[in-house]
Amino acid sequence: MSAVQAFLEGTIRTATPLAFAALGETVVERAGIINIGLEGAIIAGAMGGFTAAGAAGTWAGFAGAGIAGLFVAVVFAFFAIRLRADQIITGTAITLFFLGATATLYRQLYGVTGAALTSPTMPVTPIPLLSSIPVIGQPLFAQPAITYLLYVLIPCVWWCMYRTHFGLGLRASGESAKAAQAAGVPVSRIRFIAVLFGGLLGGIAGGVLVIAQAGSFAEGMSAGRGFIAIAVVVLGRWHPLGVVAAALVFAAASALQYLFQAMGWNIPYQTFLALPYVLTLLGLAGIAGKATAPAALGQWQS
Amino acid sequence: MDVHTRANWTLSPPAADASTEHAAEQPDLCLHEVSKKFGNVIALDKASLTLRKGSIHALLGENGAGKTTLMRIAFGLIRPDSGSIDVKGKRVDFASPAQAIASGIGMVHQQFSLVPEMTVAENVALGGRGRYDAKTTARRIEAISNRIGMQLDPFAKVKTLTSSQRQKLEIVRTFAHDASILILDEPTAVLTPRDIGDLFAQLRKFAAEGGSVILITHKLRDAIDNADDVTVLRRGKCVLASPMQLVDQGTLALAMLGSSTVTPPSAPRPATNLSRVVVKFDDVFFEDERRVARLENASLQVAAGEIVGVAALEGAASQMLGLMAGRLQPTSGTIKLPTAIGFVPEDRSEEAVIPAQTLIENTALANAGARSRMIDWHNVRTQTTHIIADFSVRASGPTAAMSELSGGNQQKFVLGRELKDHPALLVLENPTQGLDVHAANAIHEKIKAAANDGTAIVIYSSDLDELAALSDRVLVVSRGRIAAARPDKESIGSLLLETAD
Repeated sequence: MSAVQAFLEGTIRTATPLAFAALGETVVERAGIINIGLEGAIIAGAMGGFTAAGAAGTWAGFAGAGIAGLFVAVVFAFFAIRLRADQIITGTAITLFFLGATATLYRQLYGVTGAALTSPTMPVTPIPLLSSIPVIGQPLFAQPAITYLLYVLIPCVWWCMYRTHFGLGLRASGESAKAAQAAGVPVSRIRFIAVLFGGLLGGIAGGVLVIAQAGSFAEGMSAGRGFIAIAVVVLGRWHPLGVVAAALVFAAASALQYLFQAMGWNIPYQTFLALPYVLTLLGLAGIAGKATAPAALGQWQS
Repeated sequence: MDVHTRANWTLSPPAADASTEHAAEQPDLCLHEVSKKFGNVIALDKASLTLRKGSIHALLGENGAGKTTLMRIAFGLIRPDSGSIDVKGKRVDFASPAQAIASGIGMVHQQFSLVPEMTVAENVALGGRGRYDAKTTARRIEAISNRIGMQLDPFAKVKTLTSSQRQKLEIVRTFAHDASILILDEPTAVLTPRDIGDLFAQLRKFAAEGGSVILITHKLRDAIDNADDVTVLRRGKCVLASPMQLVDQGTLALAMLGSSTVTPPSAPRPATNLSRVVVKFDDVFFEDERRVARLENASLQVAAGEIVGVAALEGAASQMLGLMAGRLQPTSGTIKLPTAIGFVPEDRSEEAVIPAQTLIENTALANAGARSRMIDWHNVRTQTTHIIADFSVRASGPTAAMSELSGGNQQKFVLGRELKDHPALLVLENPTQGLDVHAANAIHEKIKAAANDGTAIVIYSSDLDELAALSDRVLVVSRGRIAAARPDKESIGSLLLETAD
């Protein structure tokens, strides 16, 4: 495997959990809700995935991860949609709560010995023919099966958002909830569904970290990916395809360090560790063009 | 006068007709004794409306009379506090507009109902189910546009459309949803005369084909020329319901503006000495931001201790009142105003008070823009306590939140705050709108007392009875001109109608 291929493979691997989480958050934000609790869904998904995979294998692990993410989303939806609590405060509280709760639970269940417990990991499943394409074949099509689920999900989300009445109602709820409601769109129900979908994908993103990558759980292993995913949504301009592209850009920035090390460049590795966060700031500052958020984002009366 | 008794009719024509002509005919829509309060403000008080199948029904009333609220209830946007709704003879209880749309009701709103970031086609398709195909929707829009003569580009973003195009889009959309009952809220406000003609022709055709239409409007002419039946709301109450052929313009105007709720003046006011002029307009000219002349060659005087009523249709006097309160500057001409001016704006919760803050903080807001440095909170608290006592404001104390007070008590408080420094001039806009009779009378007494103390009062009201009861003289503002009227309902009403379109 050449250095370029290793770089591309690293990019896809890093991008996968980010893209899952960001795709879910895109749907949430297009419905007019901002779920800062995404980080909480990811860590809960990692914990759920670790537990379920250890008990019943990798696919069960992803199911467990998804369910854990859904649970977090239900908590968020109850406070933010049903009780109309402030979304930012609710999301922050949820992230902090689940970071702590998973750490406590992990110690309760698996002790504090520090001995790394391992979970089964999902093997790489190369797709015949496609994986033999020169250069990009291996990085794109010799991945764990969960990555292929992402490949299928991207066009599905796009189609649902732009080619169905549900998607139309979703986008209208995010732009102008009052107008959507006057036109007969069930705004609250759509927002609820969107938040659940976002939680599901956030949970799966956490599952990917454990089952497809690390093979074990560690406290706080989501490591800010939820917040990066929210930045990715901004950089991707709230469009599912743009968001996936943005996730790739972020992942590439992380993967660059391996490439440069392989090429013998003498740049401190911390530079590359910092790069994704620098990109996040630039993305938020609108370096990629003035980003316009859904007009009703985070509000009830608009 | 005959007109007066007619204005207080409350009969429901379809019910009366049903026994004779349309024995088997169910009304398309029947709203029965619907009431709604927003906080402490009574928006609707047992309002009823019966819409006959195949008819165009005009719903008339001044701003704030409750027309839009009543129709938003019929469309499922607002839940009523009490009352019932029947659609085609079936009792309904709409939880959302989606259910109203499913029952065949379509509504063209005045605002808030289009998504600006989306295309015309997407806005039309909003609220549907299943797959969304832009081309199919576009073809449907074109078919409807051609039929009703309103051309629209289906792929244009709504934010790029003019207000007239947006209005057309709203109308096209209700037709696209196959509504059999159309509710149109002021549909002609931004349309050209030709488009208005087309629209009414189309509505007539729609009614002839078995549909029915409710037309909310404040344009009497549109209503008289196009509607079969009419219902007039005033202060949330249904004051007239009749077939259109039985009423004339004067009856309708008095039903819209008059009121039987104001009690006669309690005591005659002492004759005022008109020598001390407080306000003086000299040849004042005012253009709004679109360079439309809203006040022309206005010259007038208001003396200390005088109560001058201002009558106008639909905000025609708002510029004059703004100039009077020192909130606007004239384009040309000179205005002499006193330094201390009290102002009671029409929109109490938006412009006069901050509902979430305490009475003390709201007191401190008076003239806050003109003052700086530290606030003497002890002094403000004393002032607040005085206002509560002097104006008999019912509140738990000076630290109560403004929102805990009823509408009437809020208004008494605002009046007290504006009068506390004995201003030379007090300008009021519809000071008793949304208040019950008792609170309205209390406000009236305080206004008269302030005038007797030497404050010049300028009061605008959409209620002619209120003007007649309070004013020493009345100014009628119409099309930028000011005319003087005697303070009785008939002369104000006839002058309003003469000068209006």
